[in-house]
Amino acid sequence: MNRKDDNQSGEVARTVVEFLEVAITMIVSLKGFYPSAAFERRRYMNVVVQRARHPELRDYIHSAASGLLPFIEKGLVERVAVIFFSEDNVPVERFIFKLTINTSCAGLVEESQLEFALRSFLIKLSVSKSLVKPLPQNCRWDVTAYLRSLPEVGSSKEGELWIPTDTKQWQKPPVITPVKSLNSEPLCLQLYLEHPNFSEPQPCHAP
Amino acid sequence: MFVRHAKDLCPQLVIVPYNFEAYEEVADQFYDILHRHCRKVQLFDSVIYFQDCFFVSVVIKNRLELHDKPVAVCHSDNPKGTAEISSANYPARAYGVKAGMFVRHAKDLCPQLVIVPYNFEAYEEVADQFYDILHRHCRKVQALSCDEAFLDVSDLSDVEPEFLASTIRNEILETTGCSASAGIGGTMLMARLATRVAKPSGQLYISAEKVEDFLDQLPVGTLPGVGSVLKEKLVKQNIQTCGQLRLISKDSLQKDFGVKTGEMLWSYSRGLDLRSVTAVQESKSIGAEVNWGVRFRDQQDVQHFLQCLCKEVSLRLQGCEMIGRTFTLKIKKRKKDAEEPTKYMGYGDCDNMTRSITVPAATDDVEVLQRISKNLFGSFCLDVKEVRGVGLQVSKLDSAYLSNKGSRTLKSWLSSAPASVHIEQDDHVFSAAVRENSDYTRHANDGVSRLRESESAESSIQSGDTNSSLPPMCHLDMEVLENLPPELLSELDGTYGGKLYELIEKKRGKRKINSSSPHIFLDGTAAGIKELKSISVKTHGLSTSGEKEYKEPFVPHSSIARTSNQGTIEMTDLMPSSLSQVDASVLQELPEELRADVLGAYATHRRQQSSSDVPMETCKKQDEEPIDIKGIENEIGFSCRSLWFGDPPLWTEKFRVSGNCTLEFFSEIYYKVAQSRPMLSPVLQQAISEIGIFHDASANDFDEAIYDVCELLKQYIKLKVEGDIEEIYLCFRLLKRLAARSQLFLQAYEIMSPFIQASISEHYGGSLSIS
Repeated sequence: MNRKDDNQSGEVARTVVEFLEVAITMIVSLKGFYPSAAFERRRYMNVVVQRARHPELRDYIHSAASGLLPFIEKGLVERVAVIFFSEDNVPVERFIFKLTINTSCAGLVEESQLEFALRSFLIKLSVSKSLVKPLPQNCRWDVTAYLRSLPEVGSSKEGELWIPTDTKQWQKPPVITPVKSLNSEPLCLQLYLEHPNFSEPQPCHAP
Repeated sequence: MFVRHAKDLCPQLVIVPYNFEAYEEVADQFYDILHRHCRKVQLFDSVIYFQDCFFVSVVIKNRLELHDKPVAVCHSDNPKGTAEISSANYPARAYGVKAGMFVRHAKDLCPQLVIVPYNFEAYEEVADQFYDILHRHCRKVQALSCDEAFLDVSDLSDVEPEFLASTIRNEILETTGCSASAGIGGTMLMARLATRVAKPSGQLYISAEKVEDFLDQLPVGTLPGVGSVLKEKLVKQNIQTCGQLRLISKDSLQKDFGVKTGEMLWSYSRGLDLRSVTAVQESKSIGAEVNWGVRFRDQQDVQHFLQCLCKEVSLRLQGCEMIGRTFTLKIKKRKKDAEEPTKYMGYGDCDNMTRSITVPAATDDVEVLQRISKNLFGSFCLDVKEVRGVGLQVSKLDSAYLSNKGSRTLKSWLSSAPASVHIEQDDHVFSAAVRENSDYTRHANDGVSRLRESESAESSIQSGDTNSSLPPMCHLDMEVLENLPPELLSELDGTYGGKLYELIEKKRGKRKINSSSPHIFLDGTAAGIKELKSISVKTHGLSTSGEKEYKEPFVPHSSIARTSNQGTIEMTDLMPSSLSQVDASVLQELPEELRADVLGAYATHRRQQSSSDVPMETCKKQDEEPIDIKGIENEIGFSCRSLWFGDPPLWTEKFRVSGNCTLEFFSEIYYKVAQSRPMLSPVLQQAISEIGIFHDASANDFDEAIYDVCELLKQYIKLKVEGDIEEIYLCFRLLKRLAARSQLFLQAYEIMSPFIQASISEHYGGSLSIS
């Protein structure tokens, strides 16, 4: 591949990573997981977004997003999910970012168009509170990435922040609510919510 | 009062014992109520204020012989000069020596005064220790300066403020060797006033009951916020103490001195101060100012000065990782009849003037600052010789990290790419630039987290070249360059230091020879980086518009740029390397035969690439005369006969001539709705708003129309399912609404609903939530 393409797609990957950090923070703040004072308003790409004030929260999200950079650059990342788990470690809601970067035509990227598209993404996200169900008590959340193929071991330092996991899945296929789809060459980025199917068996609680 | 005495005064007095539980309960309820109504509830005895004559203490702590002598800190000892004392210790103050006084004068007052120089390292060390101690004892610390701080101890219910203050003072003395004083009170005001009395090396606690007494005789000039001008005004009204001030009504104070000042005077004279101790304060503005030694001879002096000033401010902005939108230039101008200032090279008697400008896009770029400050200075229309001080402040600040990294100007984006490409090739030129820029980012202050520091170090390489916004020559499109009109080319050549013509010659020569080395352009590029001139947007506009002009209709243009290094240009070289890169709108503009040709070339193009087919290559070409266009087209995502092919898409024509009124109506709507790309949802939306109730069940070709609509939807879904689930969702919901008004669409919806869900399930592992 042409070196120039490498750089352009690296540039795109970096923009995506940065965007993911902002978007994940917004989602966590939307859900009201932390009190609203935990966030402060900031401008990003000329949109008002939330930024975490607590250093550990900020670092977690930042390292999660930037840890994905090597994988995104190689086109390995298929989906990035922000998952909220109930007490029993069963997912109650998932925010899925589905990601496709067309590395071969990365050279055609129009910086301003991409920014424009991402901005509209953020705007949609910031007003989509109505899509979001209130969380039950005692939840926890994390970020999971789904890769197209397993990365080589020890490829980079950042990659080591991510560990293989196998979280509990739902037994029935989930119900999907799309939030926003963005198609701006070379990036195709979609965000949708997943909720458990109505007929999903509930975990039994010990009496 | 003794019980005995009380019973004398009132024989029927009933004595009841203490009930601390009840008090606690009621007090809790009391504060609960207060807190519910108002956030700022101040418990009394909650604030402590620390201070002492810092500079001197630090310096003399290791010099025992000076402990009781009068000592002052100043950079110069020379009594003949006009150096000022910056700090004096208590023995010196006893002689009347004060901060701000000329050394000469101080020595007059106190001949045995010892002058010691500054020692900034020691100050830093002691200040660190000081704050360390404060933070260990209390969480809410508001720093005012390196040696003054407020502590809010209202939360610490199990500690007596007085005891805490003396504990801290002792610790400070032990650790730093310097004494500290503390004032304790219910508000920040009282704490501060208390410290004034408590100094040196003491503490004073003003409890609620003692506030009035304390303030009664206090001169108004000692209130913070009351300067000499305000004091004069008050004296004129015969108000000299706070006790007297208290007698005036708030209204009348506000009328005489303004709303805010009047309010302040009224509150302060009563010891009221609603300010709370705020721990972390973000700076509202960043800037730099010079007020000493400012003597300009001519415009050139001024311009040079402004450039240096802007460089400093830009550095400071970068150091705090902030960018700003409002720029204020402050000028000190000599008053008309002012004499030479007493202080050598000082600013003397001056008027202060300011001008500001706000820009829409926040920045920290030194060039922008320079341009703006130059304009602002010009707008004052001054005689430069009268200027005695200049300052630049940047406000409306934003974090540089989170905002606008993606939307830097096009030139910085372009220049960021080569920064990392050339790093191995031209080390000495480039690494110099990188080093310079990464030094800037090392000024990141403590407020910034570690991770962010590494991020900015990374990005310094990325955007290190924000000043060198010329794209390196090897990135320029040769075709465009060669075809530029000569005047433009020579101008462009100028900005590249005359190397551009050489390059073009080289490239022309190289095209005949099969050469794939990009290293040839090294010297040209290095020269490009060395001769950094600020690029004009015009040149940029040139390259991009040039590219647009030369975009040939049937071959995607970018591939030419990429492949021009390689040998002779063949058909296959002109083609993008894969079908997905083909611009569909371009393709459909082509006449049939040409389109077939292009698609056909893909058949061979692909087969050449695929290794398994290699031996069969030549035979395949002949056999596959009716080339598998359909297969190729499916790859592109639509076929030439697909309903969604083209702009406007083919289905609009088909529906228009269908003879069915619903279909015709639907097609008409498409033309009404303006859109950049053929999408279905706006059409559906418009249809819903236009359609009343459509009675279309009776049409003869009802079934056929349903089929057509379903076919349309199916193809659309196939097109969009992978990349645009939002659109599908939208169409799905709109279709449902449309189905409520049209029999045709109702049928279509019933047929399509399972298809859509199946499609989604296949690609996303779930089903769309449709209520």
